Amino acid sequence: MIWLIASALLFSIGAYGALTRRTAILMFLSIELMLNAAALSLISFSRLSGSLDAQVVVLFIIAIAAAEVAVGLGLIVAIFRRRETTNVDELRQLRG
Amino acid sequence: MQETFLLPLIIALPLLGFVLLGLFGKRFGEPAAGWLASLLVLGSFLLGLFLLLQGGAKWTLAEWLPGIPFSLNLDNLSGVMLMVVAGVGFLIHVWAIGYMHGDPGYSRFFSYFNLFIAAMLVLVLGDSLPVVFIGWEGVGLASYLLIGFWYQERVNADSARKAFIVNRIGDLGFLLAMGLLWSMFGTLSISELVEKVEAGGYSFTTLTLAGFFLLIGAIGKSAQVPLMVWLPDAMAGPTPVSALIHAATMVTAGVYLMVRHAFMLHGDGFLAGLIVAIGLLTAFYGALCSLGQWDIKRIVAYTTLSQLGFMFVAVGVGAYWVAIFHIVTHAFFKALMFMTSGSVIHALGGEQDVRQMGGMRKYLPATHLHGLVAAFASGGLVPLAGFWSKDAILAYSFEYGPWLWALMLLASVLAALYSIRWYVLVFWGDYRGKAHPHESPAVMLWPNHILMGGALGVGFIGLPYVIDYKNFIEPFLTRAIGDFPHEKLPVVTEWVLIIISAVVAIAALWWGFRFFQQKMPAWYERFQAAALQGFYADAAYNALLVNPAKGLAELLFSGDRGLLFGFAGLGSLMGGLGALLARLETGALRFYLAGLLLALVLLVGWGVLR
Repeated sequence: MIWLIASALLFSIGAYGALTRRTAILMFLSIELMLNAAALSLISFSRLSGSLDAQVVVLFIIAIAAAEVAVGLGLIVAIFRRRETTNVDELRQLRG
Repeated sequence: MQETFLLPLIIALPLLGFVLLGLFGKRFGEPAAGWLASLLVLGSFLLGLFLLLQGGAKWTLAEWLPGIPFSLNLDNLSGVMLMVVAGVGFLIHVWAIGYMHGDPGYSRFFSYFNLFIAAMLVLVLGDSLPVVFIGWEGVGLASYLLIGFWYQERVNADSARKAFIVNRIGDLGFLLAMGLLWSMFGTLSISELVEKVEAGGYSFTTLTLAGFFLLIGAIGKSAQVPLMVWLPDAMAGPTPVSALIHAATMVTAGVYLMVRHAFMLHGDGFLAGLIVAIGLLTAFYGALCSLGQWDIKRIVAYTTLSQLGFMFVAVGVGAYWVAIFHIVTHAFFKALMFMTSGSVIHALGGEQDVRQMGGMRKYLPATHLHGLVAAFASGGLVPLAGFWSKDAILAYSFEYGPWLWALMLLASVLAALYSIRWYVLVFWGDYRGKAHPHESPAVMLWPNHILMGGALGVGFIGLPYVIDYKNFIEPFLTRAIGDFPHEKLPVVTEWVLIIISAVVAIAALWWGFRFFQQKMPAWYERFQAAALQGFYADAAYNALLVNPAKGLAELLFSGDRGLLFGFAGLGSLMGGLGALLARLETGALRFYLAGLLLALVLLVGWGVLR
């Protein structure tokens, strides 16, 4: 039960970071925090229910997070090379 | 009767000319284009003559429309019409080579002209009603194109449209007749219809109705009384068009159609009476209007109306061969009259007002001779072409009823008067204009020489039976039309009728010759003013039909516009909403994220509180 609270805290910190940071790298870290929070809560649920199904999902989350970081960091590096900045407020070329 | 592919070739020749001149006309250059067109028509004429001498021909393309073959038929009746259309058409083509000299649309003109001949030949040769209808619409189209030939002038384009629209009203009748006949007999081939009608076993009322619809079609094409308003306006086209289409061929198509369907009209008292009434009315209306016109071509146009009325009367009294006979003679003398007028117009550099003419007999001796013969033939002087065909109509009218004979005699007095008025105003007195008249070139004179020969002599193919001379055309035509026996008038009566009509024509011509040279009395001026307006027929049509229709159209149009305006408003409203939503799309990542999280919180909140 305590792990669930920790997970909630971790998620809130992540959400707060994702909303307030302007640098793409730090937003990225915050998103990782939220993902970890989600994984943590899944582990706790698995413990509580005694079933291993949720742990399988956690493995998937870790794999996806690794892939996401590889692609995301590549993108950020590429953007930085072109624009000399990673401030997301200045990167709005995709606006409608 | 033989099956031969030469028959469609008759139609294909002028059609080829239409295509060639339409595509490469400019490259042929000025005289070449005209000669090409003329020679193709001559080719059709010679081919047709050859087949006619062989005793006619048939040609059928079985797989055309389901149940309706594409069939052509050259019998004696269509053969005579073909001779007139291609023969007189050829002469007018040659004449037009001179008349259209220097026109920027020279090759276009001859292209249309050939199209007209092709369509007219389809009409004449067609053996099933849909085929006839193709030709029927084709000549309407060519007529439209040629009336509006000088389309830069608004008036010409309007006249072309008027002719087209009025003709469509008549064509509706034709279509209805076709539908009715199809539902009655299950065939539209004319030769099969003849057999089925003779076999009997159908409702006579329905057949009368079909005949009535056909009559409406004929009225539209032949410009008879309720639908006559387009013909005088059609004079906006070049003079060869007036001569070929609106005097010699297309306008007689209505009469031809009715003669072709004589088997339906024959023995139907109601239809016969109706046709006689319409023809009589038109004969008088056209004649009286002609007496008041100042435009030389409108004078002749109204005389054409009047003569077409004569033909209708002939059909109404059952004298079918006489109607065709009158078409033949009329084609000669009316084409001559038109082309003489054209030569005068040409000589005066485009002047069409007869008040600016006069005295032409000194300046244009050859054209004067043409005009003299045309006027006498049209006025019914013995023994020119117009006399014999008109006399035959009068004789049949006498059998129908002496009152009709008397009225027709009066109409022919008017015919003599308008012919001689035209002649006097153009050729006698002193020259009233300012141009320098010059005689036409040989290419225009020779066709007129030939037509003059026709106007003089063509009547002798149909002399009345009392004159001991072989009537060539009656047995020739009745073989194709069908034999409708009638009692011949006693010899004495016939002779009396001939002498009366001859004397009356001479007297009317002489009186008119004197009368139109002097100053007009006041009563005549008043009559003239009314006749000049066509007795206000156009004004009445405008007040009764055209303006209400226009008002309705305007009303519907404004309704339309309101509807469109509403739809456009709805569209722009939706567009505005879309633009408002589009402003949310800023491209700012953190704004999106905030939205995402907000939505998440709301969703979770909703899930928990539910």
